[in-house]
Amino acid sequence: MKPTKKDRLGMALFMTPALVLFVLFFLIPVGYVLVVSLFQWNGMSAATFVGVKNYFTIWKDPVFRRSVINNIIWALVAACVQVPLSVLMALILNRKPRGWKFFRTVYFFPQVISGIALAMLWSAMYNSEYGLINGFLHLIGKGELAINWLGTLNTALPALLIYWVFYIGYYMVIVMSDLSGVDRDFYEAAEIDGASRIQQAWFISLPMIKSSVLTCMTLAAVMGLRQFEQVYLLTNGGPANRTSTMVLYLYKQIQNTRYGPANAASVMLICVGVVVILGIRALFEIERKRRK
Amino acid sequence: MTKRNRETYLTTGAALRAGLGGVLKWILLIYFAMYTLFPLIWLFISSFKTNTELFADPFSLPAVWQIGNYINALKVSGLIKMMGNSILIGGLSTVLNVLCASMLAYCLSRFRFKGRETIFTFFAAGILVPLNALMVPYFVIISKIGLYDTHAGLILLYSAIGIPMSTFIIRGLMDSLSREIEEAADIDGCGFFGRYFRIILPLSRNGLVTAATFQFLTCWNEFVFANLLTSSQNVRTIQLGIRYFTNQFSTDFVSMYAAIVISIVPSIVGYMIFQKQIVSGLTSGAVKG
Repeated sequence: MKPTKKDRLGMALFMTPALVLFVLFFLIPVGYVLVVSLFQWNGMSAATFVGVKNYFTIWKDPVFRRSVINNIIWALVAACVQVPLSVLMALILNRKPRGWKFFRTVYFFPQVISGIALAMLWSAMYNSEYGLINGFLHLIGKGELAINWLGTLNTALPALLIYWVFYIGYYMVIVMSDLSGVDRDFYEAAEIDGASRIQQAWFISLPMIKSSVLTCMTLAAVMGLRQFEQVYLLTNGGPANRTSTMVLYLYKQIQNTRYGPANAASVMLICVGVVVILGIRALFEIERKRRK
Repeated sequence: MTKRNRETYLTTGAALRAGLGGVLKWILLIYFAMYTLFPLIWLFISSFKTNTELFADPFSLPAVWQIGNYINALKVSGLIKMMGNSILIGGLSTVLNVLCASMLAYCLSRFRFKGRETIFTFFAAGILVPLNALMVPYFVIISKIGLYDTHAGLILLYSAIGIPMSTFIIRGLMDSLSREIEEAADIDGCGFFGRYFRIILPLSRNGLVTAATFQFLTCWNEFVFANLLTSSQNVRTIQLGIRYFTNQFSTDFVSMYAAIVISIVPSIVGYMIFQKQIVSGLTSGAVKG
C-alpha cells in the first residue's frame, strides 16, 4: 500500500527507534573499528594516526596468525563436517521413524543451553582426574591412554572441535523444515520406478534442499568464526596459544588496553567472515553453472 | 542363473541392504541422542554426589543423594540474585526489542516506500556480522552514555543487537496477513496507529511470541557482552555467575555441578514449553539471513 501523508508521519515515528538502535549498535561500531584500527590508542592518552601499522603488528604476531588458522579450521569443520552430519540426520528423521519427535527434541537441547554451561560441562568431561572420558578409558582397561586432553599440545584443538561438532540440532531443524516442503509425489513416483531410499535421498531430496544447505553452511562457518566462550573457558587459548581464536585474541588485546591492534583484529575478523560467506556462495554458484 | 533364482537373489539382496540400512539408521539415531543426553545425565547425577565419591568413581551413583550441594551452590554464589538480574535484563530487553521491531516490521510489511530494500539488505548483513568483533565500540558507546555496569546498559545493548532478527521474524508473519482486513479498517476510519494496535498487532501474535521467546533465550544465554560491560556483583547475570563458580568452588566440584544444573534447568523447561516458537524463531531467522 502506498503511504498517505498522514501515514508518513506515523511511519517516521514508528521506524525511528529501531533504526536509531541499528545505526548506534551496528553501523557506527563497524565504522568505528575501521577508523580506530588506523590509530595507536590505549584508551587514555590522545590517539595518534599510524596508518596500517596495527595490521602489520598483529600480522607479525604468531598468536594472531595461529588464531586465524584456528578460526578457518573451525569454519571448515563446521561447514564440511557438522552440516553434512546434520543433513544426514535430517534425511533420516524426515522419514519419520519411530520416536522422531523425541530425537528432534533431544538433538536441539544444546541450542538452548548456554555456551558457558556447555563449556563447563565439557571441562568436567575432559578433566584428567575425575572426568568421564578418562573414567571410561580406565573402565575398559585402556587407562594408559588417559591424558589431560585440553592441556596437551596435540589434543587440545581436536578436543575442542570434536565435542561441538556432534551438536547438529540447529542445522538439522533448518534442513528438516525445508525437506517438509518437498512434494510426496516425487518419492512415490521414484518408489514405483524401483529407486531405493538412499537413491531417493540422493537424487530427489538433496537437490531440492540445496538452498537451505547453503544457508546452514554459511551460518556454520560464521559460528565457527565467532568461537569465544568455549575456548575462553576450556583452554583460554592454551596450551602455548595452540587453541587461540580471533575473538579470544581480540579480547586479550582489549584487556591489555591495546585498542589499535584490537580493532585491527576486529576488522580482520569481519573481512574473513565476508570472504568465507562469499566463498561458500561462489562454490554453490559454480556447481549451479556446471549443471546447466 | 534361472529367472526365478535371479529374482530371489535380487529381493534378498534388497532386503539385506534395507535391513543393514535400518540398523545403521538406528545406530546413528541413538548415538546422537546419547551424545547429547549422557553428559547431561552424568552432570545431574554427579551433582548429588560427594566430592570423594566423584573422585573415586565418576560412574557410580551417589550413596546418599546430597541435596546439600544445591543449598551450597545457592548460598555461596548469590545465584538467586543473578537469576533475578537475568530475568530483569532479559525481560525488559525483550519488551523493548519486540516493541521497536514490530513497529518497524509494520511499516516494512504494510507500505511500499523508498529505502525499504536498503533496510532489508543492511539488516541481513547485520545478522551475519560477527558481533564479538564489535566489543571495543560497544564498550566505548555504553561507557560514554554512562551505562557501564548498569542493568540499563545491557538492556539497551541486547535490545539493539536483536533488532534485525526480530524484525525479520515479525515481518515474516505480518506479510502473511491479508490486505483486505486492513483496507476495510481504513475505510471505517481507522488511522495508522489504530490499524497497528487494533488489527495488525493482535493478528501477528504468533510472530511476536516467537520473536520474544527467541530474544529472551538469547539474553539468558549471553555471556560475552555481560562479561565486558559489568563489573559488580549487583548487575551480574547468571552466565557470569556460573563462570565465576570456577574460582569460588575451586575444590568443591559437586557444588559447581549443582550450580550448572540450576542454570540449565530453566533453559530446558522453557524450551519444552516454547519448543515451537524457539525452533521456528531460529529457522525463520536463518532462512531470511
